[in-house]
Amino acid sequence: MRKLSRDEDFILRIQEISQQNIADCYQCGRCTAGCPFAEFMDEPPNRIIRYLQLGLKDEVLKAQGPWFCAACLVCETRCPRGVDIPRIMEAVRTIHLRSKEQLLDIDRIDKKILEEAHPLVLMSALYKYSY
Amino acid sequence: MKVTYYPGCDLYTKAKILNDSIIKTFRAVGIELVELANWYCCGTTFTLARDNKMSLIAPLRILAKVRQTNGSVLVPCSICFNTLKRANFIFKQDPETLKILNEHLGENYDAQAEIIHPFQFIFEHKDDFRKGVKRQLENLKLGCYYGCYLLRPQEELEFDDPEAPTIMEDFVHLIGARPISFPLKVECCGSYLIVNSPEAALEASYRILKNARENGVDALVTSCPVCHYNLDNFQTRITNLHPDHQPIPVFYFSQVMAMAFGLPVEDWGLEYNKVSPKKLLEEKKIL
Ligand code: SF4
Ligand code: SF4
Repeated sequence: MRKLSRDEDFILRIQEISQQNIADCYQCGRCTAGCPFAEFMDEPPNRIIRYLQLGLKDEVLKAQGPWFCAACLVCETRCPRGVDIPRIMEAVRTIHLRSKEQLLDIDRIDKKILEEAHPLVLMSALYKYSY
Repeated sequence: MKVTYYPGCDLYTKAKILNDSIIKTFRAVGIELVELANWYCCGTTFTLARDNKMSLIAPLRILAKVRQTNGSVLVPCSICFNTLKRANFIFKQDPETLKILNEHLGENYDAQAEIIHPFQFIFEHKDDFRKGVKRQLENLKLGCYYGCYLLRPQEELEFDDPEAPTIMEDFVHLIGARPISFPLKVECCGSYLIVNSPEAALEASYRILKNARENGVDALVTSCPVCHYNLDNFQTRITNLHPDHQPIPVFYFSQVMAMAFGLPVEDWGLEYNKVSPKKLLEEKKIL
């Protein structure tokens, strides 16, 4: 059996950046049910939170789910426990970005989008995918 | 009447038609929009990392200028509106952060600026705007698309019900067109995912357009430049992915107001729309 180890520092760091209490979530799954991008996520919002509750740092950092979160706040509106999930997704991204991982590479952006996109769209993307 | 106005970067560039049509339609009912002097970019999408104070610098400077001007500011771009409102919520709730930023920037901001969206302003002056209507658009069925930034989080924006808003329907009704509500009117268009994960954003936009079509809309209305970009700009790509897709024109609310107010057709900015609304408007005898 795979040995799982609980990383307390990691949980505290996520809670500090997001100002959310990970233990508040009771895993009803409403966030994932309403998330417009869940189908693109390897690990959907409720599972990211479950991994955090269990302190499974590697699982959380391996997940691509948080990169598909558009911060639309539908889940925040619907969570019966008042968990601000997009803040937790942002905290996971922030930890990656501050360690200079997964930064948005401008050369990788579709050329047509780069030319045509509103400054607002490009700035938002750069904001979310850099630090 | 003069009203202080914050256009933001997008309204100066790719969303110029939103800027021009708001200024002209408001002028038509006697309201002069006066740009806030020396404004900055608001920083775009609000950061959700609570330990990031950098992102609050631009909003604080903008709002301090608003306070020095006349205390309230009209903000048409949904993202600017969202970012300024959310930052101001922190300034109100967290005096410690406000103090640190004020000291750092040499400002003396008191968190009392008022940030107003055009829909709110229009309803505070609804008789003036109703009187501005010169043309009948009652055959035009407009799907009211809100997206995210105007509505969520509700407790910070205090705009409308985040799950079942009605302010845009009321607006469409006020200017004499036919509002249509459809289930996905509050769903996300994909926002900035279009840059990094276009496949996800295009799918989100496709679902919204399809849902609108199934509910009988002729065209969509929005106030957000990002929603407008995602929903209008990529319909050819959406058709390539989903051959069943039928293109739908997407208007800024102020373009429709320009039609209703009988402004000259050059002021409607139709050449800005990627999905041309000309055929639709001819069919409805508006053009
Ligand atoms: S909706 Fe809230 S309580 Fe339910 S699984 Fe998601 S975060 Fe947990
Ligand atoms: S905020 Fe993120 S996780 Fe929540 S519903 Fe929207 S995209 Fe999904």
